[in-house]
Amino acid sequence: MTGIVAVLECRAVSKSFGALLALNGVDLALREGEILGIIGPNGAGKSTLFNVIAGLERPTSGTVYYRGCSMSGLPTHAVCRMGIAKTFQIPRFFPRLTVLENVLVAGLYGKGAGLREAQREAEEWLNFVGLVDKAGSPAAKLSISERRRLDLARVLATGAQVILLDENMAGLSHNEMEAAVSLVRSVRDRGKSLMVIEHVMRAIVGVADRVVVLNYGEKIAEGSPGEVMRDPAVINAYLGEAYA
Amino acid sequence: MRIALVTLAALVLLPLGAGAYAIRLATLIFMWAALAGSWNLLAGYGGAVDLGPVVYYGIGTFATANLMMKAHLPFLVSLGLAGLIAMAIAFLLGTPTLRLRGAYFAIGTLALAESAKQLALAWDRLTGIPLTGGSAGISLPLSAGYLPFYYVMLTVMVLVTATAFWLERSKFGYGLRAVGENDLLAEASGVDLHRLKRRVYMMSALFIAWTGGTAGYWLSYINATEAFGAATTFQMVVMALLGGLGTPLGPLAGAGFLCLVSELLGTRFVYHYLIAIGSIIVAVSLFMPSGLMGIARMAIHRGGKRAETAS
Ligand SMILES: Nc1ncnc2c1ncn2[C@@H]1O[C@H](COP(=O)(O)OP(=O)(O)OP(=O)(O)O)[C@@H](O)[C@H]1O
Ligand SMILES: [Mg+2]
Repeated sequence: MTGIVAVLECRAVSKSFGALLALNGVDLALREGEILGIIGPNGAGKSTLFNVIAGLERPTSGTVYYRGCSMSGLPTHAVCRMGIAKTFQIPRFFPRLTVLENVLVAGLYGKGAGLREAQREAEEWLNFVGLVDKAGSPAAKLSISERRRLDLARVLATGAQVILLDENMAGLSHNEMEAAVSLVRSVRDRGKSLMVIEHVMRAIVGVADRVVVLNYGEKIAEGSPGEVMRDPAVINAYLGEAYA
Repeated sequence: MRIALVTLAALVLLPLGAGAYAIRLATLIFMWAALAGSWNLLAGYGGAVDLGPVVYYGIGTFATANLMMKAHLPFLVSLGLAGLIAMAIAFLLGTPTLRLRGAYFAIGTLALAESAKQLALAWDRLTGIPLTGGSAGISLPLSAGYLPFYYVMLTVMVLVTATAFWLERSKFGYGLRAVGENDLLAEASGVDLHRLKRRVYMMSALFIAWTGGTAGYWLSYINATEAFGAATTFQMVVMALLGGLGTPLGPLAGAGFLCLVSELLGTRFVYHYLIAIGSIIVAVSLFMPSGLMGIARMAIHRGGKRAETAS
């Protein structure tokens, strides 16, 4: 990467689970302020890639760099404090803490804020994702789409510069999708860089500056959304899924 | 807050108006409340079920006794130092064991307590340094009255309870509760879970050691089989569960209730007592998983509603 500084870079990242090679020598770079889409058929390794980047899984080989620093061997909480955080494909939450407290924890520990500051910011982020009226209720009472928004608010509250969204817009209606897409854009406008996994092509085309396509753990294409959609290798991978 | 201060003042003044029997019973309740409360700090807030807290009870007991008898230090100084020793050992033992999760941590700590007991029993023979008196145990000098024990146990119980209240609204407490609810998510949100768990483990070791050290001097006879015995662990667990896990006052309620029940039934009907306790435990886990505090909360809630409709 000459000229443009990558905020995040994966070099030859591989991850195997026993005999299964979930990621196979993946190279990619995320530029400052970019929204990078990650697409691929089921089981392509998208979520595994996010887990490796966010320090939830160790890569079998290869290295992830954040602003040029190797993240190898860092524990999960340290990766978060460095500035990389992800939402979960199946949203996770602290069920018996209130919605506000869920976000508060991320501000206190991810960002290292004091109680008062974290409290104020948690309210702001809940307002940002449209959950502020649920602030006092237990997180377990939220609907699935509210849980996704809570997960997003939590990630934002960590103060991370690199935000990884794993199908955070899944299962939304057309109107909700529009709102979610503009939410993602306004996250970027706050100076964050994002990687977004999405199954719905429409969402990716609408939001991503650039797209990386994974299939069987390998990167098979990379480029603007328009280019990638016309790529024969990509069309094949998706047709393969459709006929499987 | 005002209720807490009034209660505390009443407890401080209680010995003025109560007989020896009542004071002895109250001391016993404070002791169990402190133990159950210490267990609650790690299990109720951090979600780690420790089945070996007696390690620190035993260490506190023997460290206090030896510091008093060998180093001729005053009781309170010995007790303070015993707490520090327990914390240092908790640091060393907690670092590896707290990495175990769920049932593995429970089994690991249970095994740890059993090993500690065997080590304590064999200590004098193995090392040639007499500290535990082997299976015969050791006798302490007879203590001066029962009032000092009342106040020491009260103090430890108040400290444990204050710590639990602090966990409800401090940064450390939010992190610890997050770990207890979902450790992976807590880590992914920046919580250094191993450090937090180790800290609370050390705090609870300190309080348990203080309780053990005081109890040993109070009874003026200690032996490793009892001081490191699993019976103490199970009583702590049952009291915390009965009172309400993860609530500051739950362990106090559980300890008070069980001590009074055993006092009423226990002396004459040992077997009836065991049956009654067994039934209570089954009933609690089936019908009131949030314990006595859950029932109290429900009652207050209903009372509040009734008052609203009345006005
Ligand atoms: N912890 C694990 N242990 C074993 N195999 C795993 C594990 N996590 C993922 N895999 C396997 O690795 C492969 C890639 O999984 P991954 O979840 O990364 O796919 P994905 O692209 O996110 O798929 P989807 O679109 O369904 O979410 C799959 O075959 C999956 O079964
Ligand atoms: Mg996935």
